[in-house]
Amino acid sequence: MNKVIILLTLAICAAIIFFVPPIKGLGDLAKIIFFHVPTAWVSVVAFFTSAFFAAKFLREQNYSFDKLSARAARLGFVFVLLSTVSGAIFSKLTWGAYWNWDPRQTTIFVLILIYGAYLTLRAAVSDEKIRAKVSAVYSLLSVLTVPFLVFVLPRMYFSLHPSPVLNTSGRVEMDSIVLIVLTAAVVDATLIFIQLMKRDLSYNRKEPT
Amino acid sequence: MTEKIFFDDVSLSFGQRAIFKNVTLELRGGQIIGVTGANGSGKSTFLKLAGKIIRPDSGAVELPAEKKIAAVSPEMKIYDGLTAEENLKFFARLRGKILTAEKIFELGNRVGLNMKNFGSTRAENFSTGMLQRLKFAILLSVDADIWLLDEPTANLDDDGRKKIFAEIQAAKSDKIILLATNDNAEVEICDEIICLPL
Amino acid sequence: MTKLFACRCEQIAAIVRKDFIVGLRRKASFAAMMMFALTAVASLSLSTGGAPIDPKILAAILWVVIFFAASAGISSTFDDEAQAGTLPTLKLYADAQAILFGKMFGVFASLTALTIFIVPIFLVLFDVAVEGGLLLSTTILLGVIGLSAAGTLTAALTTSATVKGGLFPILLFPVTLPIFLPAIKLTEFAFTGAASDSSLLVVMILFDAILVTATSILYDYL
Repeated sequence: MNKVIILLTLAICAAIIFFVPPIKGLGDLAKIIFFHVPTAWVSVVAFFTSAFFAAKFLREQNYSFDKLSARAARLGFVFVLLSTVSGAIFSKLTWGAYWNWDPRQTTIFVLILIYGAYLTLRAAVSDEKIRAKVSAVYSLLSVLTVPFLVFVLPRMYFSLHPSPVLNTSGRVEMDSIVLIVLTAAVVDATLIFIQLMKRDLSYNRKEPT
Repeated sequence: MTEKIFFDDVSLSFGQRAIFKNVTLELRGGQIIGVTGANGSGKSTFLKLAGKIIRPDSGAVELPAEKKIAAVSPEMKIYDGLTAEENLKFFARLRGKILTAEKIFELGNRVGLNMKNFGSTRAENFSTGMLQRLKFAILLSVDADIWLLDEPTANLDDDGRKKIFAEIQAAKSDKIILLATNDNAEVEICDEIICLPL
Repeated sequence: MTKLFACRCEQIAAIVRKDFIVGLRRKASFAAMMMFALTAVASLSLSTGGAPIDPKILAAILWVVIFFAASAGISSTFDDEAQAGTLPTLKLYADAQAILFGKMFGVFASLTALTIFIVPIFLVLFDVAVEGGLLLSTTILLGVIGLSAAGTLTAALTTSATVKGGLFPILLFPVTLPIFLPAIKLTEFAFTGAASDSSLLVVMILFDAILVTATSILYDYL
């Protein structure tokens, strides 16, 4: 599996560098979008994965679910940081400012806050059993913000951000090769996430908290 | 008396330390069951498991349905900022009981605490022995079916001990009583002893 | 079922009354919350020195002050009992839900007192003309409900933490954001008198309901 992912990643990198036409008027750096979209996708996937395992833990009291929930959150935190930085760079290139609190930037920032709060909570509770319970409850509590971020925020603030799939009506012209490469990149990032979730488990090494 | 607490293959550990491993046993009502063992053998933990105050890592503890639990334990403090009477009334109220002045006085007498004198004293001004008596009065006030007593007469003088032993003896017929202790006098009133290995 | 419910209400009332009596005798955390809010408002007002401030910013300042003062005041809701060693006793004698709602009502009462104290001071010190008084009160009430629900659960979560400094607001902020942002918008409308967007009120009511329900469900797992 690792080999497949490495090959896929290399292929995507090559495709981005050689085959994808430069985005009109934005220069080569704008190709960071191929990094931004997949990492953003994974940070959201990781968020729900973490909450899913948290719910499973509370239901079954099996501590390996707590470990998985924590791992998803740690990975999600890394991905959300990468995504935020790459997004800010793309934002600077296209709209001239790194940050303007549009709904999607707000959403991703809230995600950073939630991940940060969750990991801080884990670090602050020393008793393993209590830590598992408390962080699972917080994980589920934080999921409640999702309907707000998805349905309410976009109505409250004006957005410059293109709709989730870059489309032809957006600023960025999207031809089929872009779509294919972007889809492949999203799949690749998801696979990397899944692989990282599994890897730690099979090694069964001592978990940092 | 067929009421009993049933431990079904119960295991519990704190960190790396296994306290109980695959414990299966039955605790029957109508008698005083003493729980003894060295420090750290898990006497208090055993009581908490029996009262479902903590959950085992695996296995299950079965209690008779709808049974009310009350406890006296050094880990369970009462409110310093409330008077003796307010404490009694508060905990009884939580179990749906409204105590009259006479009832409070009577409860005080049973544990050797004169509520006419000390009823309106805040618990923070009580000595350890008096607090212990007050805790026992709270236990008596709520009509529980299961009593978890963790060193119930520690810090008490002879008079207090006698009174509380008499209450435990008198109550045992229709209750499940667990008494965690290493004190000889307390062990002597037990009908059955469970000695926990370290 | 109704008997069970009636019993819960008695328990809740008993806990609220107990906390009120203890709170009156030990006023420290309540006083700290009030003084925190006063200090924050005074320092902001002093440092801006009467310069005209955009209603949008004023609304944000008001809610930030309420949020952090509330954090200072309610983070110890369960902590005080845990430290005094009374929490295990309370948990033994009362139902979990009665404890939760007893504490939640207590938090709601002290936050209501906080806003009644700080909002008039804020309006005077920043010289704000309120166009929609009713809207402002409704918004604050809805905001306080949401803060109470999420705050009570968060206080229960942080009780077992060994490192507490600053943990409470860090945890509370993201989960209260859904009521926080609409509250700021609505407060701005109340200051300017602009035609208010009633859908934002609906959002707040909805999230208050969600938070209270979720808090009640999740507390059982603690």
